[in-house]
Amino acid sequence: MINDEIIVRRAEKEDIEQFMDLVMRMKRLNGEFDSLFKANEDNLGNIKNYYLSTIEHRDRFVTLVAICKKKICGLVKAEVKDRVSYIPDKEARINDLYIMPEFRRKDVGKKMLNKLYEIAREMNIRVISAEFPTLNLIALNFYQKIGYREIGSVYGVDIENIEKEKSE
Amino acid sequence: MDSRERTLHFNKIAVEYSKYYKGKVRVYPNVPITHLSDFSFWYTPGVAEVSMQINRHPEDSFEMTGRWNTIGIVTDGTRVLGLGNVGPEAATPVMEGKAMLFNLLGGINAIPLPIRVSSAQEFVNVTKALEPAFGGFNLEDIESPKCFFVLRDLQKALSIPAWHDDQLGTACIILAGMINALRIAGKKIPDAKISLIGSGAANIAAAHLMIEAGIKPENIIMVDSHGIMEPERSDLDKIMLSNPWKYELALKTNGERKKGNIAESMDGADIVVSAAKSEPGLIKPEWIKKMNSDPIIFALANPLPEIWPEDAKKAGAKVVATGRSDFPNQINNSLVFPGIFRGVLDARSKGVNFNIMVKAAYEIANYVKDPTEDNIVPTMDDWELYPRVASSVARATVDEGLARKTDSKEGFFKTASDIISENRENFSKLMKFNIVKKLPEVE
Repeated sequence: MINDEIIVRRAEKEDIEQFMDLVMRMKRLNGEFDSLFKANEDNLGNIKNYYLSTIEHRDRFVTLVAICKKKICGLVKAEVKDRVSYIPDKEARINDLYIMPEFRRKDVGKKMLNKLYEIAREMNIRVISAEFPTLNLIALNFYQKIGYREIGSVYGVDIENIEKEKSE
Repeated sequence: MDSRERTLHFNKIAVEYSKYYKGKVRVYPNVPITHLSDFSFWYTPGVAEVSMQINRHPEDSFEMTGRWNTIGIVTDGTRVLGLGNVGPEAATPVMEGKAMLFNLLGGINAIPLPIRVSSAQEFVNVTKALEPAFGGFNLEDIESPKCFFVLRDLQKALSIPAWHDDQLGTACIILAGMINALRIAGKKIPDAKISLIGSGAANIAAAHLMIEAGIKPENIIMVDSHGIMEPERSDLDKIMLSNPWKYELALKTNGERKKGNIAESMDGADIVVSAAKSEPGLIKPEWIKKMNSDPIIFALANPLPEIWPEDAKKAGAKVVATGRSDFPNQINNSLVFPGIFRGVLDARSKGVNFNIMVKAAYEIANYVKDPTEDNIVPTMDDWELYPRVASSVARATVDEGLARKTDSKEGFFKTASDIISENRENFSKLMKFNIVKKLPEVE
């Protein structure tokens, strides 16, 4: 059905208002998993500028949106990283992926990643990695299901609360 | 006496009586013992053979011990009445009261089991471990959303029914009342538009049950403390993590994508079911005027309904129900759980589900011969109601493939009637012979 069609494309500057709604939903969701990921609601201007730059700099970022029923229903942003000491010497790191609740479990994520792989190939990138809060088991299950494995860990602490965090 | 004085009076005598009787239920032997030598068959050595038979066929525990008629009333005391988290010891008098109702109305031996646990998982583990002694579990007064996780996991883990009365009992009687209210208004279930105000355990379960009964999910609008629920609401991810049952409803209800609060949810609705704050005025008369013709209002908060029945009527409500016994149409769980449990026990059922609950709700609705605006549900002294619900439930468990023991609906009705009336007669005798002592004088 034409109504259920999902289109994935590069994000454009004109998408930014709707795009930002999804970005902030995603950041708030991250905050639910870990207090070190508390969304900065007072910094919307800078956040917006940052994402506008990821849309603009296509050599350094792949920023995609999914369109369902004429609205943005999903986004992915991957950052191109150099890894001079390893082979291959470039990877794309997915650091944002979000899908609106009602469009989950409809393969929107898979479709966005397929588009990302397509663009990565064009850029001669074959290593794709993804980062997300450790406690986000939904993300963990998603990536594991589509063939990703754990390749590293990031640990963090708030040094003003280091003792408190240790006991938790 | 005004209502405040009345409450204080009841509080006072409740404490005095509790000190006097020291417990509302007790255990007596169920077999004749005339000589100590009788213990040779009631206890050792004879009992060993009974044990061995049950060891070979564990299901025989339903036929050779009291398991067939015994349930546990399990609580962690985290949401007792309107009191909140008072802990398991303080929950005991309430569970004893429930046990009393189970016995008097359903002929069931119900054992109060307040347990000290610190997580949903521990609650499930402890209750699961108690399964061999019981024919079913009634879960009671558990905080939300913990109650949803506990019920789901126990229903999966047990081969006896688990029922959380604050969810399922309330949902069932709301549906029964709704069926008759719609009959009076001349409306059909698939066309009915419903506003559910308050998204606690009862209304979430009610919404799921209504959908099972044929209400279209897109015709339901749910309102919580942040307003109308809809798929684009900004706090939906948070709800997804804390309460998947509520999240599921947010995604599939509200087909029109209405936004706003209580007033907007009622605009064009046929029925309002409010299980929210106990605060008259929460529902405004002018909002009732914007509902469809012959509006139906269930204002179920206790002790004070969200709108007083006379105000709702004045604003044009056709049918008004509350949670109180001093107004017509009391939406009361006690009309449901005794019959449900009598039914699942008589069929030795392995579980209970929404299909069975829908049948129970219709049985309760159909019990009211000619429903009128002021008579949509039975009352607690409709004694024949309980065996009727029981027979309907027992038969439904057979149809669902959950029963260990099968019979016709008529057969189950006779079984339930006999058990309940014999139990009541026995209890009357205990009172008549002063074995259950008369109430003491309280100053």
